[in-house]
Amino acid sequence: MTIVDTKMKHGDASDGLLGGRLARIDGPAKITGAADYAMEHSPEGMVYAVIIDSTIASGRVVAIDTSAAEAYPGVLLVLTPDNALTIKTATDWTGAPPPEVPYEPFAREITFAGQHIAAVIAETFEQATAAAALIKVTYEETVPISSFDDPRSGEGFPIDMMTKEWGDADAALAIAPVRIEQEYKTPREYNVPIEPHGLIAHWEGDMLTLWEPSQWIDGMSRTYAEWFSIPFENVRMLSPYIGGGFGSKALPTRYGAVAAIAAKMLDRPVKLAITRPQTFTAFGGRPATRQTIALGATREGKLLSIVHRSANETSMSDVAIEPLGSVTSIMYAVPNFSSRQNIVPVNTVKPGALRAPGENPSAFGIECAIDELAYEVGIDPLDIRLLNYAEEDPHAKKPWSTRRLREAYAAGAEAFGWAKRSPSVRSMREGKQLIGYGVAAGTYPVRRTPGEAMVRILSNGTIEVASSGIDMGQGTYTILAQTAAEAIGVPVETVVVKLGDSSLPRAPVAGGSQLANLMTGAVHVAALAARDELIGLAINDQNSPFRDLQANTLTIEGGQMSSPRDAGSSVAIAEVMRRTGRERIEALRNTLPENLRNKDDHFRNFTTISTMLSPTEGDYSMHSWCVHFVEVRVDVDFGTVRVSRMVSALDSGRLYNPKLAESQWKGGIIMGIGQALLEEGLVDQRNGHVMNNNLGDYLVPTNADIPNLEVISVGIPDTNASILGGKAVGELAIVGVAPAIANAVYHATGIRVRDLPITLEKLI
Amino acid sequence: MSNQTTINLEINGQAHTLAVEPRVTLLDALRDHLELTGTKKGCDQGQCGACTVHVDGERVLSCLTLAVQVEGRAVTTIEGLSDPGAELHPVQSAFLEHDAFQCGYCTPGQIMSAVSCIREGHAGSDDEIREYMSGNLCRCGAYPHIVEAVREAAKVMS
Repeated sequence: MTIVDTKMKHGDASDGLLGGRLARIDGPAKITGAADYAMEHSPEGMVYAVIIDSTIASGRVVAIDTSAAEAYPGVLLVLTPDNALTIKTATDWTGAPPPEVPYEPFAREITFAGQHIAAVIAETFEQATAAAALIKVTYEETVPISSFDDPRSGEGFPIDMMTKEWGDADAALAIAPVRIEQEYKTPREYNVPIEPHGLIAHWEGDMLTLWEPSQWIDGMSRTYAEWFSIPFENVRMLSPYIGGGFGSKALPTRYGAVAAIAAKMLDRPVKLAITRPQTFTAFGGRPATRQTIALGATREGKLLSIVHRSANETSMSDVAIEPLGSVTSIMYAVPNFSSRQNIVPVNTVKPGALRAPGENPSAFGIECAIDELAYEVGIDPLDIRLLNYAEEDPHAKKPWSTRRLREAYAAGAEAFGWAKRSPSVRSMREGKQLIGYGVAAGTYPVRRTPGEAMVRILSNGTIEVASSGIDMGQGTYTILAQTAAEAIGVPVETVVVKLGDSSLPRAPVAGGSQLANLMTGAVHVAALAARDELIGLAINDQNSPFRDLQANTLTIEGGQMSSPRDAGSSVAIAEVMRRTGRERIEALRNTLPENLRNKDDHFRNFTTISTMLSPTEGDYSMHSWCVHFVEVRVDVDFGTVRVSRMVSALDSGRLYNPKLAESQWKGGIIMGIGQALLEEGLVDQRNGHVMNNNLGDYLVPTNADIPNLEVISVGIPDTNASILGGKAVGELAIVGVAPAIANAVYHATGIRVRDLPITLEKLI
Repeated sequence: MSNQTTINLEINGQAHTLAVEPRVTLLDALRDHLELTGTKKGCDQGQCGACTVHVDGERVLSCLTLAVQVEGRAVTTIEGLSDPGAELHPVQSAFLEHDAFQCGYCTPGQIMSAVSCIREGHAGSDDEIREYMSGNLCRCGAYPHIVEAVREAAKVMS
């Protein structure tokens, strides 16, 4: 269990209130090396596991020769499909009941390169690593379909639930005065958190303790419990700090099952850290995508029709959908619309979630296409966006809860100096540098799952907040301390926040940019309940210093209680607790609706995503919005692209801590710059290997790639979207960055790059 | 290949005697044998900078350094940059103030590199800081704030 306190507060007192710029309270632990990430524990007797992966992408394992590895010094166990303990298949994250078949963490039939086939467990990490290299695998290899660029992969199969249609898009397109049609592609992209994945699994009888970086402690704990047929309460998962996730640490993995199986078979704690190269195949990143977008418009640039056809790669045996019509269908007002999507099975690991799955590549398509239309009809790219502004959700036909996109366009254009843009391509230049300005918008939905939190008032006046929710850098520790401090009326320094432990009250997944809103809501409700009980105690207890006042209520400010009837005197919370002899006041509250409060629904709410509300559930359509203005400089001889300046204006509703929200926005923008210019999983078409499976070859942005970034908040509190008025933050800002850069590169060079990343060979 | 050797290391001013195999890296010696887990493993192949420590005052990647190589040399890790309970190092304070991190996992390496960057005289401009801090990857994208923090800390340290 980790306790983060607020002793090292910086700034003034108002920073502690919700909306203040409090420095992150987990900061002191992180800058001194004291923060204990999940895999930095050493339970007594711990041993090390190393996974062996398939070197072929398609075929089957004929034989595994483990003799040399077994004879190696320090080796305790070589696990293969033949000797691994049998476990059950678990309920999946949507809540779908599992088939009655064993769960096989090791494969015999191979469908992608990097599939786990065996593991070595030894006394030391070095011994396990060396012994793993001695495993000899005999394969029967078949020719893989390495990517959806291989013609043999075909068109895939349609996903009907992705179809969105209104009006008659084909007919309207056919008679539109202006028609453009292009294909847009994005490659496989990877999450690449700097903390690699892995876990420590430790059995004590039928109790399983897991130290594992996790974006969803309750969901993952449920899976481990079902795998091993033990009660949910028997799994204790600890994840006090997470070294980045970006979508990749939310679901249980096959290597997680391997570690827990090995720990049970050996009756010793097992640490299994996958290697950096294995982070490219032990779980999936964003799948490769392609979209064909046809726009029909008037000669003035008013949209008449959008026809959108798209596909993403999936693995041979799983359905992975990257929703490519998600932004296409809501960004612009259009009377006729058709979007359909296929998925194409290839020999890859099942793709996963990477920051703004769906919205990100979807925006790349439509935000480049609208830019192309602007040039086609000869109007400003910003003006065409305002001309086609959607005053309501064109798909759901509901009003927006809040949509401050028009304000974002205005604020961003002003700060950037968009008016100085010269309209024609290749018309701005400094020496050997072609200069281009580009703009693109982005959006991310408000997802809502009910939350839960415990708030305690302790006898010494300390306020304790507890949840199994997590902080992977978004600032959960900090904003929950601010929420409780404000609701009760105490200085933020008196609040202690406990997170990342399955023994604490339940929390849903830290994904879909929902956690801040649902957790501040739950903490707010619980803190008010604790405050009410404290005031009730102070009014009614015969030993209370307020007893004689006969007051109806009391106020609490700065940790001091006082009565409106006797404004002069105040008493500290700790003193009230002492006088009344109370050890603690405790309020466990959730924000579940009445019909979901029974035990089964409560469990389902926190261990599956089945109760998550869509952004259009209810009277409104709820989304965050943003716009990015970019200046690029392209070397006229070498085609190198640098982002030299960027201004983004964003509507995430109310910000609970602008300092931390701005950091998250900038982080998303930087990941977007990487996506636009650097990031690309290179697949060897001969054998299905991801060739650049390391940080030297899969290029993520470095410090030198990033200019100063200006971010402007244009949001206003949206209490339809959440209890305290916030909307999505974490996944918003990456959306729209890549098309803004592609549009700027076009403006600079006259070359339209429609397949990411925009590398120099595409420009010379 | 499991012959252990006894080595004497000086970490953060303290002497340690360890029995490890010669192939154990400095990074694994710190994390697995000395419980100094502030130094992070991000790639284990010299590409991310998360494992940066100081050896005789110079920044090195501890994942590409064997523990036996630093016998008789002074190693400083993030835990030794400021004394527990004492004032933070100016670079640490600046990282906190400028929110120069999110998840915190690359942070010890960034801070050790930043201290060297300033000492080496490579914090003269924002562009110079960007260049000399580019061996440390941050996937959360704290780069602009890292530049601000290094710039501010350089002023304090000069």
